Amino acid sequence: MPKTILIDTTRCTACRGCQVACKQWHGHEAVPTKQTGTHQNPPDLTPNNFKLVRFSEQKIDGRVWWLFFPEQCRHCLQPACKATSDNYVDGAIVQDEATGIVVCTEKTKELTAEQCTEIIDACPYNIPRRNDKTGELTKCDMCIDRVKAGLVPMCVKSCCTGAMNFGEREDMLKLAEQRLAKIKGEFPKSDFEAMVWCDVSQTCSMLDQDDLNVIYLLALPREMYHKFARKESKPLNRADFLATLTQPLRSIMG
Amino acid sequence: MTQHWIDIKNANAVLIMGSNAAEHHPISFKWVMKAKEAGAAVIHVDPKFSRTSARSDLHVPLRSGTDIAFLGGMVKYILEKDLIQKEYVTEYTNASFILGDDYKFEDGLFSGFDPEKKKYDQKKWAFAKDENGVSKRDKTLQDPRCVYQLLKKHYERYDLDTVSSITGVSKENLLKVYEVYSATGKPDKAGTIMYALGWTQHSVGVQNIRLGAMVQLLLGNIGIAGGGVNALRGEPNVQGSTDHALLWHIIPGYNNTPTTAWPTLDDYLKANTPVTKDPKSVNWWQNRPKYVVSLLKGWFGDNATPENGFCYDLLPKLEPGVKYSSMFMFDRMYAGKMKGGIMFGHNPAMSFPNTHKVRAALQKLDWLVMGEVHDTETCSFWRGPGVDPKKVQTEVFLLPSCQRGEKDGTTSNSGRWHQWHHKGYEPLGQSKSMGWIVVEIMKKVRALYEKEKGTFPEGILTHDWIKEYDAEEMAMRINGRFTKDVTIKDKTYKKGDHVPSFPSLQADGSTSSLNWLYCGCYPEPGKNLAKRRDHTQTPMQAKIGLFPNYTWAWPVNRRIIYNRASVDVNGKPFNPALPVIAWEDGKWIGDIPDGPAPPMAMEKGVYPFIMHTEGHAQLFGPGRVDGPFPEHYEPVETPVTKNPFSSQLSNPCVDLFSSDKDVYTKPGDPNFPIVLTTYSMTEHWCGGGDTRNTPYLLEAEPQLYVEMSHELAGEKGIKNGDPVIVESARGKVEAIAMVTVRITPFTVQGKTVHLIGMPFCFGWTTPGVGDATNRLLPSVGEPNVTIPEYKACLVNIRKADKVKELAI
Amino acid sequence: MANFSRRGFLKLTGAGVTALSLGQLGFDLRPAYAYAKALKIEGAKEVISVCGFCSCGCEIIMHIKDGKIISSEGNADYPVSEGALCAKGAAFYSMHVSDHRVLKPKYRAPGSAKWEEKDWDWMLDKIARKIKDTRDKDFMLKNDKGQTVNRWETYFQLGTSQMDNEECAVTHQMCRALGGVYIDHQARV
Repeated sequence: MPKTILIDTTRCTACRGCQVACKQWHGHEAVPTKQTGTHQNPPDLTPNNFKLVRFSEQKIDGRVWWLFFPEQCRHCLQPACKATSDNYVDGAIVQDEATGIVVCTEKTKELTAEQCTEIIDACPYNIPRRNDKTGELTKCDMCIDRVKAGLVPMCVKSCCTGAMNFGEREDMLKLAEQRLAKIKGEFPKSDFEAMVWCDVSQTCSMLDQDDLNVIYLLALPREMYHKFARKESKPLNRADFLATLTQPLRSIMG
Repeated sequence: MTQHWIDIKNANAVLIMGSNAAEHHPISFKWVMKAKEAGAAVIHVDPKFSRTSARSDLHVPLRSGTDIAFLGGMVKYILEKDLIQKEYVTEYTNASFILGDDYKFEDGLFSGFDPEKKKYDQKKWAFAKDENGVSKRDKTLQDPRCVYQLLKKHYERYDLDTVSSITGVSKENLLKVYEVYSATGKPDKAGTIMYALGWTQHSVGVQNIRLGAMVQLLLGNIGIAGGGVNALRGEPNVQGSTDHALLWHIIPGYNNTPTTAWPTLDDYLKANTPVTKDPKSVNWWQNRPKYVVSLLKGWFGDNATPENGFCYDLLPKLEPGVKYSSMFMFDRMYAGKMKGGIMFGHNPAMSFPNTHKVRAALQKLDWLVMGEVHDTETCSFWRGPGVDPKKVQTEVFLLPSCQRGEKDGTTSNSGRWHQWHHKGYEPLGQSKSMGWIVVEIMKKVRALYEKEKGTFPEGILTHDWIKEYDAEEMAMRINGRFTKDVTIKDKTYKKGDHVPSFPSLQADGSTSSLNWLYCGCYPEPGKNLAKRRDHTQTPMQAKIGLFPNYTWAWPVNRRIIYNRASVDVNGKPFNPALPVIAWEDGKWIGDIPDGPAPPMAMEKGVYPFIMHTEGHAQLFGPGRVDGPFPEHYEPVETPVTKNPFSSQLSNPCVDLFSSDKDVYTKPGDPNFPIVLTTYSMTEHWCGGGDTRNTPYLLEAEPQLYVEMSHELAGEKGIKNGDPVIVESARGKVEAIAMVTVRITPFTVQGKTVHLIGMPFCFGWTTPGVGDATNRLLPSVGEPNVTIPEYKACLVNIRKADKVKELAI
Repeated sequence: MANFSRRGFLKLTGAGVTALSLGQLGFDLRPAYAYAKALKIEGAKEVISVCGFCSCGCEIIMHIKDGKIISSEGNADYPVSEGALCAKGAAFYSMHVSDHRVLKPKYRAPGSAKWEEKDWDWMLDKIARKIKDTRDKDFMLKNDKGQTVNRWETYFQLGTSQMDNEECAVTHQMCRALGGVYIDHQARV
C-alpha cells in the first residue's frame, strides 16, 4: 500500500518549519538569497530546496487572501519523470514498490543536462532540479530513509498545525474527504462559526488526488496559489504509461 | 498566561489582538486551529494582515496605538446590551465595590494629578470602607458610586462613531467583533485573549492589558477552560527570568526591591504585607514574610539570623520614586555616569529604541563584559558603522556562551511549565554556560575581597555563594530546604530536607528558598518534577487537555490559575461540559484549586481572586500609576492632533528623555506623516544574533524590508522590491520595499493615514542585510513599567537612489 | 519512572536520555534498496532539550553520536507541540553547530581595532579586577540624606531571558551581592 502525504493548505500558517526541517535533515547547503519584495525565499525549488513554501496574495471584494502552498514532489502514481528517464538511464529514477516513493538516485549523474531538462519538462508540476555542480537530478525523496525506519517524513513531523499528514494512501484519502466535506460546509455550523463564516464551499478542491501520493487540499482555485499547482499536462495514467513502453527505446548513450 | 497552550482549544472565540501568534508563537496555532475546527470563531485585530490573519475567520485592521478605544467600545457594547456574566461579575469582581468621595474623572484626567511631577496621588482612588474597615459594596450594582456604574459612565463616550473614526476600523467590523466576542459572556461559553508585544509596547501598554482583562472579567472568562488573559511570552524563558527577577524593581518571587523608605526588614515586611479585615479574603500576600525571609536564608545561609534581620541590611536600597530600568540605564550611560557592566544574551545595539543613542552610550563605558553565543552588534559596538575604534577607550570582554543543548537546566514556558532540558554533549570550543560564567566571576571577585578587603566587602562575602555552578544544586536551592529540624502539622523535617511546597515555608529562618513560586518543584532529593515526561491524567483532566504529570507548573502544579472562578459560589462548574475544578463529596477534583478552602458560599469558603487583598478581581484597578480605568491616549508620536475622548492627547504620566539624541516629532507633523510599527517574524529572533547566523534562516528571510500599501507606494512612486529610505527625526534606515495588499491605509477622523511596518532583526555584523530599524524609534517609556513604545512612531519614506547598508 | 509513549514509535526507557537502536527495535535495516540511505540517527543517543526561542517551550530531541550532535527534531511526547517545530525550532541543530559561534574568550583593548584571543583565567582575573576597582571607588554606603543605601550606581547588568531559571537565580544574586541596582532584561524591551 503506497504512503501518501496530505497537505491541507487551509491549515498552513507558512511557518516554514517544513522548509527548514527538510534542508536540515538532508544536510543541504544554504542558498544565498535577496529580498525582492516577497516573503517567499528562495524564489524557487533548487537542488538544495526540496520543499518550498510558496506565498501568493490577492484582494478580492475587499477581502485579503494570503495563500500558502508548501510545494514538493507529488510522487505520482505513474511518474512521468521516471518514464522519461528510463528511456536513458535505467535506475536513475526509481519508484519504491512498497511505498510508492519516487526517488532520484545517484545514477541521475549519468543523464546529460539535456536529458535532465527533458525530464523536468515531463513533470507536470515542474519539480526536479539539476545540480549543475554534481550533475545529479534532485527532488523530494519523501524522506525514504525515515519512512523505511518507521518514521514520518521530516516535513510532516515538523508541521505545527496539522496541515501536513502522512500515512497509508487509503487513510489519507479518507482524511482528505473529511476535511473537504468540512470546508464545503456539509456539517452544521456552531453559533460562533455562523457569525464569521467565510464561504469557500464553491471554490475548495483537492488536487489530482487520483494520480498522486502527495495530495493538496485548497480553499480557492488552484491557479491562485501557484502556476504549477495545476498540472499543465496530465501525469501518466496506467494506459499512458503502458503506451510509453511501446515507444522505441532511445539509446542510453544518447 | 493564566492558562497553558493546549487550553486554547477549549475556546469558543479566540481574540488575537496585539499578537501575531501564527508567526511568533507558531505552535500556539496548533491549538487555535483545534478550537477553530471545533467551531470557534478566530478573530485577529492588528494593523497588518499577517500569517495569523490568513488563518483567522476575520482580520480587522486597527491603527496602531488605538486598542483602548477599540476595547472601550466593546465594554460599552457589553454593558449596554447587558451581556455580562452576572453572577461572576457581582460575586468575583469588584464591580459592586463603592468608591470613596475623592475619586473623579474629568476630561481625560483622574483625580489627584500633579502636572508638574506628571504623577497621580493614588490615594484619591480608594474604596469607601464600613465601620469594620471592610470595603463597602452594593451587590445590586445600582449605587451610582459603585465600580459597575462608574465603569459604565467612563465608557459611555466610546460610541461606535467615535471609536471607528479614531481607530480607523469600520463600524461594521467593530460590531462584528463585539457581537462575536461578547457571546462568550454566557456561563457555558469561553473566549480567550492572546496578546503579546503588540499590546505591551505602547505608552499605554499596561492599560491595554488591563482593559483586555476587564473585558474577560465582564464576560466571566478568567479561570475557566478556554478563557484567560494570555500573555504569549516573547522570549524562551522570559517567564522564568521575570519570576527570578532579572529586573531592578523586584527581587525573586515578585517582592519589591528594598528602598531607603524601608531601612530594616521589619519596615520592609510591614509596608509590603497587606492586611484585610474580610474573613473570606485569603489575601495571599499576607505570607510575604515567609517568602522574603526564606529568600534571605537562601542567599545568606547560616549568616542570616533573626538577630541580624537575616542580613537584610546588606542589600542595596533603591531611592523611592527613582526608576532604574534599562532606558534610564542607557540615558545615564549616555550622560557618562556608568563605568562598566555585564550583559548576557542581550543585543541593545539592535533591540533598543533610539539605537543611535545606545550605540553612542556604549562608547562612554570604561569596560563591558559580554556573555554571548555570537559576536553581535553590541559586542563589537567599537567597530560599528561610523565608529573609529581608536577613539573608543572601552575594554571589552567577550565570553563565549554555550548553546541550550550543551547544558542542563530549566526554562519556564508561557503556560508556566517548568521544563528540564538535558545536556546533550560538551559545549563546543571553550564555550561555557552563563551560570558557570557568573559563578566563576564572583568566585574571583570574592577571592580579591577576601585577600585585599576594600569597600563594603561584607555585602559580597556574607553571601552563601555556590562553589561550582551546578544546575541541579541551584534547582534545589530554588525549591528550598529546611535549615534546621522542624515539625509542621505532625510531620518532622530534618535539617537539609527539601521543603515540600510553599505553604511549608517559614518566616523564622527555619526554611530557605530562592523563589517561593518554585517551591515544590523539587520536593525531595532525586525527585526533580521538571524532569517528568508523564502523560497520566484523569478523564476529567483529559477533557480539557490538562497534563498534570508532564513537567511541573508554578504555582503548586496549578495549570489554570484563578480556577476557583470557573465554578459558582457552590463549587459547580459554570460550564459542566468542560470543568476545570469541581467540588464533589467534600473535596475538589480536576486541576489543583487556588487553595483547598471549600466553595465560597460555604462556611470557611473564600473569594476566588486570592492574590488581591480584597479577594476580588479588579475592574477598578487603583494600583496602576496612570489611572484606575484605561483611557484612550494617542501614542507620543501620532498623526492625530485631537483626542476625541478628552483634551489630553497622550498619556499624562509618560516617561520621556531630554538628551540631545532624544528628539520627538510633534503630533501631526507634516514632515513625518506616516505611522511606523515594528515587529519580529517567524524566521528571525529579536536582534537577530542567533538567527542571522543560522544560514537556513537567513536564506528564508535575507534582508530588511518595509511593508507598505499599494496606495502609499503609488503616492511615493515606489515599486515592489525597490530599495527605499525610511526616515524619522532620529535617523535613516535602508530597506527593501514590500508593496502588499496586506496593509491598507486607514481613514482616521476623515483623513487618510498610512502605516508601514518593519522587522528589527537585521544588523551590520551580517554583511548586506541592512542595519537596525530601531535607529528610527523614540525613547518613550510607559509610566508603570518603562516598556518602550516600539509599536507606533512617525516617519517618512522615499525611494533610494543608492544604498550602502543593503547588498542589492 | 516517567511513563513514556512516543506515539506510534519509540519506547523510551530513561528520563530524557536514552540510547536507541532501530535494529534492536525490530526494524529491518538491511539495504533492500540502494537508494534508501542508511538512517543517519540509527544508534544515536537521544537527549531532550527545549527550543531557545518563543515561549511555547517546544521540546527537541538531540541525536548524539560519539559525543557530537548530529541531528535534531521535535519531541513527539511534548503535549504542546506533539513533535512539531517552526522554522527556528527546526534549525536547532544547525544553530548549534553554526560556524559563526564564538568559541574562545576574546578581549578588545582600549583603542584597539581588533579582538585578541585570551584564556579563561586571564579574562576572569581581569574582569574581577575591573569589578573590584570600580566598585571600591564608586560604591555608595549612604545617600545625601545620610540613609544607608549600600548600592553601586555606576554598574549595570543586562539580560537575559535566554538563561535557565537556575542561571537567573545566581545572576540576580550576583547583582545584589555587588550592590547593583541597574539590572534589567528582555522582559522590558
